[in-house]
Amino acid sequence: MRRRSRTPGRAILALALGVLVAVLVAFPIARLVTVAWTEGHGVLPELAAEPGLGRAVTHTILLAAAVTAAAVPMGTAAALGLARADVPGRRAWRLAVLLPIVVPDYVLGFSWTEAYGIGGFTDVLVGKPWLGVNSAVGVWAALTVGAVPLTYLVVAAGLSARAEPSLVRAARASGAGPAVVLWTVTLPLLRPAIAAAAVLCFALSLQAFAIPQLMGTPAGFRTVTTEIYRNLSLGSDPQSFVAALVLALLLVLITLLAVGPADAWLGPRLRVRRAAVVEPAIAVRSRSAAGVAVAIALGGFLILGVLLPLIALLGTAVSPAVGVPPIPSNWTAGNFTSVITPRTLAAFGRTALLAVTAAVLLTVLGTAVAGLERGRGGRLIATLVTATFVLPGSTLAVALLISYGRWLADTLILILLAYLAKLWAFGHRPLSGALDRLPPTELHAARASGAPAITAVRTVALRPLAPALLTAWLIVCVTAMHEVTMSSLLYGPGTETLAVVVLNSADLGQVQNTAALAVLVTLVMLVPALPIWLLVRRLKVRVPEPVDAR
Amino acid sequence: MPAEPVLKLEGLTVAYGRVTALDRISLAVQPGEVVALLGPSGSGKSTLLNAVAGFLSLADGSIWLRERVVANARRAEPPEHRDVGVVFQNYALWPHLSALDTVAYPMRRRGAPAAEARAEAQRILSLLHIGQLADRRPSELSGGEQQRVGLARALARQASLYLFDEPTAHLDTHVRGVFLDELVARRSATGAAALYATHDAEEALGLADRVALLNSGRLVQIGSPQEVYDQPADMWVAQLTGPISVLEVPGEGRMLVRPGWARLDGERSGRIEAVRFAGPHSDYQLSTALGQVVIRQAGPPQHEVGAEVTWSLERTWRIG
Repeated sequence: MRRRSRTPGRAILALALGVLVAVLVAFPIARLVTVAWTEGHGVLPELAAEPGLGRAVTHTILLAAAVTAAAVPMGTAAALGLARADVPGRRAWRLAVLLPIVVPDYVLGFSWTEAYGIGGFTDVLVGKPWLGVNSAVGVWAALTVGAVPLTYLVVAAGLSARAEPSLVRAARASGAGPAVVLWTVTLPLLRPAIAAAAVLCFALSLQAFAIPQLMGTPAGFRTVTTEIYRNLSLGSDPQSFVAALVLALLLVLITLLAVGPADAWLGPRLRVRRAAVVEPAIAVRSRSAAGVAVAIALGGFLILGVLLPLIALLGTAVSPAVGVPPIPSNWTAGNFTSVITPRTLAAFGRTALLAVTAAVLLTVLGTAVAGLERGRGGRLIATLVTATFVLPGSTLAVALLISYGRWLADTLILILLAYLAKLWAFGHRPLSGALDRLPPTELHAARASGAPAITAVRTVALRPLAPALLTAWLIVCVTAMHEVTMSSLLYGPGTETLAVVVLNSADLGQVQNTAALAVLVTLVMLVPALPIWLLVRRLKVRVPEPVDAR
Repeated sequence: MPAEPVLKLEGLTVAYGRVTALDRISLAVQPGEVVALLGPSGSGKSTLLNAVAGFLSLADGSIWLRERVVANARRAEPPEHRDVGVVFQNYALWPHLSALDTVAYPMRRRGAPAAEARAEAQRILSLLHIGQLADRRPSELSGGEQQRVGLARALARQASLYLFDEPTAHLDTHVRGVFLDELVARRSATGAAALYATHDAEEALGLADRVALLNSGRLVQIGSPQEVYDQPADMWVAQLTGPISVLEVPGEGRMLVRPGWARLDGERSGRIEAVRFAGPHSDYQLSTALGQVVIRQAGPPQHEVGAEVTWSLERTWRIG
């Protein structure tokens, strides 16, 4: 435990951040509870009797459980597979596996409909209705594809933090074959990471909105989030408004019931132990059948899960009407020209403005919390900020709406507040991790060499923190660009975001136009991500070479 | 050739990409023999051990265990099929297993029933004087205790060859001494052969039957501890294996002198530049007509810095 001299600056900063957390999260949620109680207790029996509500809750829980049951083994397999040195093109695969989260979820959902839905790509190929993914199973499959990168990331992080190569080597040298090592050493070491991946996957699947809305709603498959959306868009009906409030509360309760106990159990088990010696994984250049199999399995997953749907999307975007054969002579750019309207461009401008503003603000706020976390009092704020991440977007949006809607309804500020609350953890986590890795002795050495506090931070800490700052900025920016759950509940005339435009277009059944929009959105999301990603890679600080590496 | 060697390396070559980490190493370890691999960081000691254990593949050459080729450039037997036990530099203990389960692990892999494996593990732990720590996890053990559990795990493998990858690198001096005593005692009890990597010359000379000196992936010299100390193959070996003075002797050229090879009193004259008291002995650095020479004599310092003294050479080693 390091002791710090308590300065008034730190206290003021802690107070300001505490007030901000209260304004963004604590007060709106408290207000949601009181309003739901005062408005709702009269109609509660009526609501409870309505079968739709119970069905939505059951659907949501079953869906989240099914997605978790599928995505966790897949993500774990991907992490274990890509830990092998003999996978051809391993570095490229490690990036490619993240592809499903680079594509916005509403684009993924719509693409799946175009590829595997009724009258979609596979139906044209087979010549008759075949997969018909607009169903509970389709929603489950598409959500699973979207969740695999997340579970992969969590398990892969656990793998690199806990399963050091020497632990596996020690088991091999003790006479254990690869399968026995996996069962007796690697998986037991990964248990906390796998459990964490499952909890996170479950919590985030509970709040999934775009894919259930695009693929489930047309088939009558309703979840809590889509019901909140439906009830709020009914506008003037007071009972459906109360229903939305109750559903928003139920969603956060389910999340808390799942995450709370898991967090208490997992928290201490997930602390990263640092190895006595950082040892390099020995690269063996040989190719093996198993390595090739890993590459093929990943390739198949990405082709079926992402690439084929995107190709189908592109096919729809260039075809003039439903049912026209997708051959080059029929291709048209008409859909693109008809969707590039001043309204779309304005929506794009708003989305970019919101994303960049949120990213800049949250990188600063995230750094502030990460810095405070190391002193007393700051830890509570850090915990709250991290917890907000699993707070369902629908709940947060409803809560903000009833708290500040009177003054801020139909303004971008309301959406910005929602982004700040929901994505703060993204600005905080990378920096908190980077500060953990920054040896305090380096700053002490700078101070002992005569540098004042600020100079020490600027000259010694800033360079190693640069990748984390950029990562935080990038993650917030990209996530905010993708965001649809909250903006679809909070937008008003003149504050539609790009995602809302796509969602509304899909709701209206304008298939060609929606496809064209989705293609454009995907390109817009990918183009700025690329140079920034290269920059992040270039800035990656080289880890000092371990003693006696070979 | 007495018996079949336990380990035989023939032209062993390992490359990391374009960098050659081991360059045509040939070496044989006889049954019961301890061979120390001595070299600085990055000289290829760990790479050699990793190749013998089966953790990496060869670019060229072959590895024989007993009369069997276990690896060459084309194929390699997996580590679990090689008859070797490994003690790791960073202990490599599994954080989720107790000391007892860790030591029982190799026996379970041989197919021993759980109860039998645990009883045997308890016996090995008791032999190493850590029987009372059987239920502890690695995080509840000190560095020295962790390394003894690592040693116990390797012993439980009942191999005919043990590989030690700088096992004392992270231990402090006292614990290191205790661990090395333990190792020597175990060694005479099991009669197994060992390859022991270290960058500490004193450790290598003290515990090995033969010392192999590695420099940038090449085997520079191999011989008994006395041979490499008294007759180093080159300047590099001479400097690595202990303190050395280089004198320009007229008519004979450059000669190496170990501190014990010269003594004060005699026909030559010199001036004391520095005196260092080291407990049982004292080192005097003399400036002489032949150059700087360090002389080691028993007892506390008997001369002051600046004193004019006489000295004599008892032995020298000529170097190319």
